[in-house]
Amino acid sequence: MTSEPMDIRRQDTVPCYARINVIGGAVMVFIAGLVWCGAITLDLGTIADFGAGAMPAALSIILAAAGGVVLILGFIQRDEEAERVEFAVAPVAILAIAIAMFGFFVRGGDFGLVSTPQLGLMVVGPLTVFIAGCATPEMRVRELLPMSFGLTAMVLLVFCDILSVTIPVFPKLIQDTVSSSFGLDVAMRGVYLAYGALAATLHVALPGVGGNRRD
Amino acid sequence: MTDLFDHLLLGFSVVLSVQNILLCLVGCLVGTLIGVLPGIGPLATIAILMPLTYNSEPAGALIMLAGIYYGSQYGGSTTAILVNMPGESSSVVTALDGHAMARQGKAGKALGIAAIGSFIAGTFATLVIATLAIPLSKMALSFTAGDYFALMVLGLSLAIVVAGGSLLKAFCMLIIGVIMALVGANPVTGEPRLTFGSDVLYDGFDVAIVAMGLFGIAEILRNLDSPEGRPFVRDAVGGLLPTREDMRKSAGAITRGSLLGSVIGIIPGNGATLSSFVSYAMEKWVARRPEEFGRGAIQGVAGPESANNAAAQTTFIPLLTLGLPSTATMALVGGAMTLHGVIPGPRVISQHPDLFWGMITSMWIGNLMLVIINLPLIGIWVKFLKVPYRHLFPMIVLICCVGIYSINSQPFDVLLVGIFGIIGYGLHKLRFEPAPLLLGLVLGGMLEDNLRRGLILSGGDIGVFLGAPLTLALLTAAVIVVGSALSPSIARKRQQLQEED
Repeated sequence: MTSEPMDIRRQDTVPCYARINVIGGAVMVFIAGLVWCGAITLDLGTIADFGAGAMPAALSIILAAAGGVVLILGFIQRDEEAERVEFAVAPVAILAIAIAMFGFFVRGGDFGLVSTPQLGLMVVGPLTVFIAGCATPEMRVRELLPMSFGLTAMVLLVFCDILSVTIPVFPKLIQDTVSSSFGLDVAMRGVYLAYGALAATLHVALPGVGGNRRD
Repeated sequence: MTDLFDHLLLGFSVVLSVQNILLCLVGCLVGTLIGVLPGIGPLATIAILMPLTYNSEPAGALIMLAGIYYGSQYGGSTTAILVNMPGESSSVVTALDGHAMARQGKAGKALGIAAIGSFIAGTFATLVIATLAIPLSKMALSFTAGDYFALMVLGLSLAIVVAGGSLLKAFCMLIIGVIMALVGANPVTGEPRLTFGSDVLYDGFDVAIVAMGLFGIAEILRNLDSPEGRPFVRDAVGGLLPTREDMRKSAGAITRGSLLGSVIGIIPGNGATLSSFVSYAMEKWVARRPEEFGRGAIQGVAGPESANNAAAQTTFIPLLTLGLPSTATMALVGGAMTLHGVIPGPRVISQHPDLFWGMITSMWIGNLMLVIINLPLIGIWVKFLKVPYRHLFPMIVLICCVGIYSINSQPFDVLLVGIFGIIGYGLHKLRFEPAPLLLGLVLGGMLEDNLRRGLILSGGDIGVFLGAPLTLALLTAAVIVVGSALSPSIARKRQQLQEED
């Protein structure tokens, strides 16, 4: 699980604010503070019949204590033991965008600040795969493109057709048109067959992919 | 004894319908499929695949879930043996000798003995569960609220001791989990608490969403961090069937592993991991030539694999009889049961006998399927191991999104999974192990409820509350567990365990 203590251990000293334990401890104390603020507005009750706020209040004190110890240990640990916190921002941001895209547009709706249209799995699926795929520097467009459609076709087949999970497949506008002319199920099967064919075509047509997909 | 057979018969009558067998088969297959992917342990596998089970009726869903559970365990061992990347801590020791065997071109044999050992251990553990379930659940019904509270404290103490990394940090995670369990509608009055005015938090945190974020998405982010160092996988796995000589060597190890695993699995805490370590140590101790260990000793694969499979199975006992999940994985299984309207606990057996015995016999069927289906398919799993990660993770992201959406048809849930994914990644970077959090989240509500009822019954007198013999004994045990983990020699052992991870 935690397997990279070697390469993170830097030769030069790690400033206090960048130490894993200092930041970790501080985060715990912060959360404890937040919980405490939420808990004191609630009824504490008595020991014989404690109220809604008692457990949260008690736990926030315990968490603050434990987090405080982590924090203090972070401050007093020897320089050579201290580890620097390192976050990879780019992949996190890209994956967050991919997931947010799915969440916001699969059915659309009112999210407080924004309201979004329904685009359905048909549009959102390939986009999610494509955006998520960009999170690694090893990304290759000519691989990702057929994958986007192929995976969406697979998900439509497995989740929507075989497991009959209810999830919007079409953008709202198309959904209304389609359902009046012929069944949504038929149209959905058409989509995944078309996507599957598209993925296969792209896979063959784009140069340099064929054959070494599983390298 | 006749009771036992009647019950098993009832179970088989439930499982042996075409639909349920199919669900069990699909569960085993997809469980192995995802579990075999390096970097995705059983916990993440179950988190990702859980939504698959939501559309079936309860019995079918639980049978499928059990299939996924065994499939993912077995998939994890496959990865450990073939590429030396244990998906979770319980297959760490399998990797030692299993991978050594693979390097000698005997990967097939290692996988074969792992499957056979697991099956024998699984058969034994199924009988253990079937025998112990009724007496234990009867006993559980006589527990007072205080006893329950103490039992949970003991289980959680064991869980943080067995969790990797710093004890203190694991404790922090546990507390946060318990606090998260309290967010939402107050169970007594229904008024909101700790929601900070948000409607979304009023329903509390959904275990499935938290798990999929913390384990599914965060795992992807963690893997993206380290540049792709895909180890070389040999094409030749060699013959699958162990020779008579191998069987003779492993028979003792499998027997000891089964017994050991069954016993350790019942104790709350991460039984599967613990039992595989203990079994390895024991095999090394009884071996005539202990120097072979680490260089491809077949007993070093057979023993721990049997032990962790037996334990993985008997870990169901605390969940099914007491309603107390002892690992994060069991917490997820418990969550899935609740979703289907089956509240894990002593009443499951009497209220849903078909479901209970169906699930138990499906464990055995699942194990059998793993042997007769997965071994011939080993070539396919090897191919899967060779799929580069850049092809895998977009698929996992899409499956997670579709899966989580399908639970409640709530787009907001998808966003929450993303947020928990980022939180999980942050926790990993800060060296916090999130498994105790999940356990705390599942048990938090019960913990508060039992403490409250216990204190009401004792009239607010803490002396009376703690004075009940069983409560006192369990709490003392919890103190001893945590205390001993802090003692220097055991602390060093934990450190070792963590480094091997």
